[in-house]
Amino acid sequence: MATNPFKITLLISILSIAIALTLIWGTAQTAPNLIRYSTLSNAPYIKVESINVTTNGVYIRLALINNGSLAFKPTGGWVEVVETGQVVNVTVINGTVIAKLPLTPQWMGPASVGVKGIVSGTLNGSRAYIAFFDVVPIHVINTIGIADVSYADCVLSVTLSVDTVVPVVIGPIINMSLFTVSTPGYYVFETIGIINTTIYASAGSHNVTLTIRVSPALGRYTYVYSCNYLSGFSKYTLWLPIGVTYMYPTGNVTSYTLLTKTFVVGGGS
Amino acid sequence: MRVEALLQFALAIAYVVLWVFMLAWSISGANYSISLTPWGYAVRFFSETHVIPPTVYAVWLFAIDAGLLPLVWRRSRYSLYLATLFSVLSLSMLMDTILFQQRYLQFHGYTIAPTPNGYIYVSLPAKPTLGIPTYILLALTILSIFNMITRARWLGTRVIEDPIVAVERVLKVLHIECSRIEGGVKVGGIKIIRRDDSLLLVNDHRIDEVDLGTAITEAVKVGLKQPVSVGVVDYGED
Repeated sequence: MATNPFKITLLISILSIAIALTLIWGTAQTAPNLIRYSTLSNAPYIKVESINVTTNGVYIRLALINNGSLAFKPTGGWVEVVETGQVVNVTVINGTVIAKLPLTPQWMGPASVGVKGIVSGTLNGSRAYIAFFDVVPIHVINTIGIADVSYADCVLSVTLSVDTVVPVVIGPIINMSLFTVSTPGYYVFETIGIINTTIYASAGSHNVTLTIRVSPALGRYTYVYSCNYLSGFSKYTLWLPIGVTYMYPTGNVTSYTLLTKTFVVGGGS
Repeated sequence: MRVEALLQFALAIAYVVLWVFMLAWSISGANYSISLTPWGYAVRFFSETHVIPPTVYAVWLFAIDAGLLPLVWRRSRYSLYLATLFSVLSLSMLMDTILFQQRYLQFHGYTIAPTPNGYIYVSLPAKPTLGIPTYILLALTILSIFNMITRARWLGTRVIEDPIVAVERVLKVLHIECSRIEGGVKVGGIKIIRRDDSLLLVNDHRIDEVDLGTAITEAVKVGLKQPVSVGVVDYGED
């Protein structure tokens, strides 16, 4: 070979180094256009579904919304109620995320509260945290029901189980009646109009007893067919439409509700 | 052709072929992974997959050059120098490709995405690993450097596929004209024929069983009666 191998080597060396450098430089120049930016789309999120204020405590229920193909499995987390400053860990029961807070006086004021928090879990097998903030209306759960009924000598005695977060005044009673559960049915008594019997119950969970003398004192639209249970009938229903006044710190709220109770007297039916 | 150079070629081919099936470098994790294939970075992010081609083609092109050059250009030792340069370039292009990931495919082990009322933080731990092909490339670079220093003579043996081929090669190097015949080679008036494990020297009158050395000597003796020209020795020239 006539050509000097040293010269060939030098030439190829310089050429290949130049190619390599050009490639490196070119890649750096075009890299911003080559690469793609990816973020999670349709990522799952947490929404505060409901806040129920009961005498047992405040229950905050968090809904997990999986709107994509990525499945999130909650395992824990915490919530903070901005208005009351309460922070509590959540519990996960069968995929439902619930936080239970103690009931404090602050819960009686606002109509809605801000809830923020973080729920941790796994997204497609990877550890993930979902942060959220929602302003959610409060549902105050007050329950009043009839626990027990007795009727004798024209005196109706109704034991009410009261489970409220605020003090309540129960009454008046409008158009109550007691009748047999049979075909045909027979009235024991019925009243038309308002019976101004009221009873006060403090906040919490307890029983109060309303005692009403249905005869003879209740007025002209009271029909009393019997002062005791009817003979031959053991199953009765009491209809008790009643007004309940909840004494919230922000003002009294009166609502009317129908309480009913079907009960069996004596053991037969 | 020297074993050392063949070994270098074998390593280069092994590197490129293995790379097709194994990853040269990767960051592996549950929902996020980056793997370096011969045609670019394969990036997997949850269900999405993208391939981003950076300088990766140069890596294996230079590697093949580093293996092939000592076989193609055998006259000068400069071919070994050049092969070393190619193997080093291949390695540096691989490093550059990995640096490309560090620079442009930044990955901190997590992703954050907005949600209607907050955000989601997904932890995506991953660990980088160097694959077997990369170690072969390293071996190729080391071997090419070693071959360069020793002029590809550290084994001290030559590849002899067939005694007839060996005889033929000696004659060829000495520019002695010979011709292939059935089972052997013919130089001037003699023939060297292979039978099983032995060589037979056949001239006009007799047939002798000879060893390889004698066969070559006899062939050269006959051949030297021809006009002689300058021979070529692998990597002999400066």
